[in-house]
Amino acid sequence: MSDQNDPMAEIRASFFIECEELLEALQDGLQEMEEAEDGSEDPETINVVFRAVHSIKGGAGAFGLEALVRFAHRYETVLDEVRNGVLHPDSDAMKLFFLAADHLSDLVRACRDETPLPEETSEELLTRLDALLGDEGGAEEVAPEDFQPMGLSLGLDLPDLDAPTANHFTIRFKPEQELFATGNEPLMLLRNLCDLGTSSVRCNLADLPALEDLAPETPYIEWLIELETEAAEPEIRDVFEFVDGLCEIEITGAAPEQGPTEIAPLPEELSKALPEEAEPEAALPETLEPQVAPPPTTAGKSEERESAKDTGEARKGGAAAAKSVVRVDLERIERLVNLVGELVINQAMLSQSLDEAGLSPHSDAMNGLEEFQRLTRDIQDSVMMIRAQPVKSLFQRMSRIVREASAAVDKDVRLITEGEGTEVDKTVIERLSDPLTHMIRNAVDHGLEGAADREKAGKPRAGTVKLTAAHRSGRVIIEVADDGAGINRKRVQEIAVSKGLIPPEIQLSDSEIDNLLFLPGFSTAKTVSNLSGRGVGMDVVKTAIQSLGGRITINSEPNKGTTFSISLPLTLAVLDGMVVNVAGETLVLPLNVVVETLSLGPDDVQMLRPGHYVVRVRGGFVPLYDLGVMLGYRQQRKTEAGAIVLLIVLEDSTRAALVIDGIQDQRQVVIKGLDDSFYRAPGIAAATILGDGQIALILDPADVIAGMGHMRGADLMLSERMIANE
Amino acid sequence: MTEPLVLQPKLDLPAAAPLAEALRGRLDGDVVLDGSQVTQIGALCLQVLLSAATSLRSKGHAMSLTNLSDKVVEQLAQMGFSPETLAEGRG
Repeated sequence: MSDQNDPMAEIRASFFIECEELLEALQDGLQEMEEAEDGSEDPETINVVFRAVHSIKGGAGAFGLEALVRFAHRYETVLDEVRNGVLHPDSDAMKLFFLAADHLSDLVRACRDETPLPEETSEELLTRLDALLGDEGGAEEVAPEDFQPMGLSLGLDLPDLDAPTANHFTIRFKPEQELFATGNEPLMLLRNLCDLGTSSVRCNLADLPALEDLAPETPYIEWLIELETEAAEPEIRDVFEFVDGLCEIEITGAAPEQGPTEIAPLPEELSKALPEEAEPEAALPETLEPQVAPPPTTAGKSEERESAKDTGEARKGGAAAAKSVVRVDLERIERLVNLVGELVINQAMLSQSLDEAGLSPHSDAMNGLEEFQRLTRDIQDSVMMIRAQPVKSLFQRMSRIVREASAAVDKDVRLITEGEGTEVDKTVIERLSDPLTHMIRNAVDHGLEGAADREKAGKPRAGTVKLTAAHRSGRVIIEVADDGAGINRKRVQEIAVSKGLIPPEIQLSDSEIDNLLFLPGFSTAKTVSNLSGRGVGMDVVKTAIQSLGGRITINSEPNKGTTFSISLPLTLAVLDGMVVNVAGETLVLPLNVVVETLSLGPDDVQMLRPGHYVVRVRGGFVPLYDLGVMLGYRQQRKTEAGAIVLLIVLEDSTRAALVIDGIQDQRQVVIKGLDDSFYRAPGIAAATILGDGQIALILDPADVIAGMGHMRGADLMLSERMIANE
Repeated sequence: MTEPLVLQPKLDLPAAAPLAEALRGRLDGDVVLDGSQVTQIGALCLQVLLSAATSLRSKGHAMSLTNLSDKVVEQLAQMGFSPETLAEGRG
């Protein structure tokens, strides 16, 4: 943000924030127009679209952003034709509208960041837009008086002055000397006047001399009262009945139909006292103090405010419009999150020391502590909710990616989004953008077939990419699904072999073949297109997702399509963990993967081959891994009998049993990221500070097990055979 | 620092001239007004105070109003002022 002391910079910054909202509304509106069958769309939709562009133009005009005004104006001209029913956009025109919206958002960003404007694209798009208008439109240039200043909503909630019966009066009241001499006081009159309705009282001091020249008993000041009231003018005059002739009174009334937001012109005398050209609203605060926020001055302004509001609420319905919003600097929230993190650690320490003091669990202190824990958790949840944002903005960016990608490879692609309202931590949203972009491009480029192939397969020519988000058991699931040909597994395996990524003779399950896509350096595209296929694809995506504590899985069916699922933690700051002991070390496992704990009997474990065991769980066999061995803490023991085992189920439904030495606790832990200067040990996600101040490593079970490599596949196959044999 | 000027309880018409006189004698330095005894403030005394505040400010001095009761603050508000705006001599 620019210099905070510069009010213009602040207003400018809030204009750009508002632009983002308007652009979002524009996208929404265009989307709705595109989805609607011919003529069935809500006429309000085009209004919303039009007003979004119009408002951006208005604001840009106020800040002298000419390139933006110019583009928005001509875009708006075309939209106006649509609004008036003169132009009926076909699908090509809609595509152009989307491109123009994308370009408008580029322009807004370029203006905001003061980077060079993409003039050439502007020209090209404008030519195409003008072409839609036929002969008459085209060369029309934007006239300076054509746009009105835009009402920047600065979070100021104006009082609702729109009461149906309210009259608006401006009263000028100047007491004379005799008024005081007869024992009257302006205060009484002002008070009675205010009792009639909602008022704003200002005092004009223009005539007040310096103290040396002041005659103490001569009144110099006058009042200007803005009154919203159901009373009529005679009732107002009644207030001054007893001081008739002792003061100057001027009452100017505005009838409600003239617009309740319209302020009556100032009395001539007072206007003269004010600086010329300045709007009364702008000039008054210098000398006069309003007691209530002044209403907007012009009808134009209020219309613009309305439009800005409309665009936001158009899709959400009336209830959402009532929400009021505060914009907070992200840094402040970060600080709060950190503090709450410290609070959680502190609470864990307190809890530990009370435990060690040997207090009875029923003592007041322990009960108090429980309450404290509950509160801490509530605070934590609330703070996390502040950071949470709907994925909508992310999804909208993706719709642009789909448009660009499909144009680049000349495929007709529809993007369907679901669950846009799903809220995810802001950091997660920001860091998801790149991987998701890549996945969407992949889906368009590799996932979907060309139109001809689709027809052959009996599918509609236009491919579909579906982007969904949902909350599922404490995690966020984001899916990118295409209805393409599915993964060509034979080809995937051939490529992996040809690139030396896997040995030629290995037998792999379907899901293992699918997972080859995530190997570094893997690329199936026959030719390197300008979109994807450079062989830096999915492994980068996987790394990015994993760094967010997430998991990515593939599900593909021949001729039906491929679905990539990303599962992410709701927050990056805390974790419900199981604190365990392994070979004298304290480790934390995410609680949500642990489904069962067992203690092993002598007959439960069976050896597949030396060093590889499975454990029998409810009639099935699950591969058994000793965490201590996997993390290199100790050598393989001769027998695991009597050991404690955690049965875990991973995102991809893989089951595994982990041998540990003991369970300490289940508790919320604060995730402390490991610095880049540490070696990135496989299986270790992060660290935390426990109640006793000790540092414990947080494990990533999927990564630990993945570290066992192909042994897992072989073990699973063997254990399946064992079940079959039984 | 000079002694605070204690304002009269009733700042009505008769109080205006003495108040102006007292303030004229203090225009060569910062002025602190003690409003603890004030129960009522009228428009004439108000304009004396406003004029004094403006004059003081033009000479580079400040005027401050202390200990006003809620009742008096409310009276000021009804006339379109707050203690702060009054002390600064602006509306």
